[in-house]
Amino acid sequence: MIELFDVTRRFGDETAVDAISLRVESGELCALVGTSGCGKSTTLRMINRLIEHSEGEIHIDGQPIRRFKEDALRRRIGYVIQSTGLFPHWTVARNIGLVPRLLKWSAERIESRVEELMALLGLPRETFADKYPHQLSGGQAQRVGVARALAADPDILLMDEPFGALDPITREALQDELREVQARLHKTIVFVTHDMDEALRLADKLVVMDAGRIVQQGTPLELLHEPATPFVESMLGGDDRGLKEASLVRVGERMLPLGPRLIATARVHRDATLRQALAVMFREHADRLTVIDDEDMPVGELSLRRLVGNTRHE
Amino acid sequence: MSEPGVQRQAIRALHRWRLPLTWLALLLVLTLGMAELESVFRWIETESRQVIYDRADFVTLLGRHLLVVMVASLLATLIGVSAAIAVTRRAGRDFLPLVAQIASMGQTFPPVAVLALAVPVLGFGTLPIIVALLLYGLLPIVRNTLAGLQGIEPSILEAARGMGMSRGQVLRQVELPLAAPVILAGIRTSVTVNIATAALGATVGASNLGDPIISGIVNGNTAYILQGALMIGLLALTVDSTFERLTRRQVSR
Repeated sequence: MIELFDVTRRFGDETAVDAISLRVESGELCALVGTSGCGKSTTLRMINRLIEHSEGEIHIDGQPIRRFKEDALRRRIGYVIQSTGLFPHWTVARNIGLVPRLLKWSAERIESRVEELMALLGLPRETFADKYPHQLSGGQAQRVGVARALAADPDILLMDEPFGALDPITREALQDELREVQARLHKTIVFVTHDMDEALRLADKLVVMDAGRIVQQGTPLELLHEPATPFVESMLGGDDRGLKEASLVRVGERMLPLGPRLIATARVHRDATLRQALAVMFREHADRLTVIDDEDMPVGELSLRRLVGNTRHE
Repeated sequence: MSEPGVQRQAIRALHRWRLPLTWLALLLVLTLGMAELESVFRWIETESRQVIYDRADFVTLLGRHLLVVMVASLLATLIGVSAAIAVTRRAGRDFLPLVAQIASMGQTFPPVAVLALAVPVLGFGTLPIIVALLLYGLLPIVRNTLAGLQGIEPSILEAARGMGMSRGQVLRQVELPLAAPVILAGIRTSVTVNIATAALGATVGASNLGDPIISGIVNGNTAYILQGALMIGLLALTVDSTFERLTRRQVSR
């Protein structure tokens, strides 16, 4: 658990972060979203003391972070940055094993841990262990970056626009992988991004920042339903935010059991999002879809009326 | 490893080192067999009775020359690298412009002037030439070490600190290895230049490969000058190509 109490950071006369309070529960992924210069990266870097806070207190698991030695604190917090920061003169395996080596793990333990992480992030050991960072693609390098951050099994992971430099397809693939990894490991993650779609996809809790202050925080759906200010609304894409909401809800949550009517020919998977279902309707010129499960068996149906949340008469 | 494997490796190593080895062989041949070339030098220098420098044998001259350069370069490396490291740390940052300036001043100062100033203080002999070479060789080392350390991508250092490496660990495991090729290039320049400059030592009584040259100039004996120059040239080439080899291995790794 990470808690910030009235944390302020000044650089000279400028206040980069202005008395913010925030609580990230254990196992939660909290996304800090905002335009550049809003103080989100500064906030992140105050948590592992790469930047010292000027005022207020930051606690990890109830302990003020200044009570720990800097280096000891950082070794128990994973850190991922946009430009990866991999050491160019070290192999992939050595890069991943960095923190365990700092913690003086035994060689065998490091080796098996590195192997485990490479498997977790889809980097076959035979292919990648002895490669150097310059031989990797952007996506592969960032996977190594994530593996390195996870190496000593820290409870907390700080990620500073980790996927910001990747092409859209690789970025989505890595977002999915992060979701899978998170579903298995339940780390406490603070994730900085300026990409609202990314934040909505990944976050349990969304924190919108502007000019060093927190404008609104809540779950993605809470923010989409009730944006507190016009700024939050514009961050959420204005009128587009209906579609953003549709991509957060699964078909399975809105569908009705199969009725007596004829089965519709257009089909959509139960785990697809409402946004995808809408796209299928649009493409097939259909206002009714058959919902199927993994075995392609019909399990329900979804009408356009139902999809948009109009439940009065059905 | 099997016998043929070892042999093949040895052959490959020999192949990689062929350039430095060639220069070294030529240098040794000349050092030991200068007298055999008497007829060649007599053809060049027709006027003098004596055409092979013999006030000291070339092995001794080469040894002294190498010793002076080695001592001066070792000290210059030690001082230069430490100074550059010190001024790129947080505590020493204020001194960065000063050190950069002093180092470049060292280079603009002609070595002869350093010698002229050093002799009254240190007396004749080997000491003033070592001081002159040390000062003269400092600049490329300081400059390159600074460039090497400052050329490291900031995100790499941020990641290193963010992962919980101590400042000493960052320096030893990240900064120095990454800057090593550039630092080595600076040392290479410094040593090579100093091999040539060390010949000036002969003017203040430090006997080395500069002796035949000075003596040749004084007595108008072209053969002496040629012998000194050839030896110094070959020594410089040997050392320079050795460094080149070392730097290349660093990079490919």
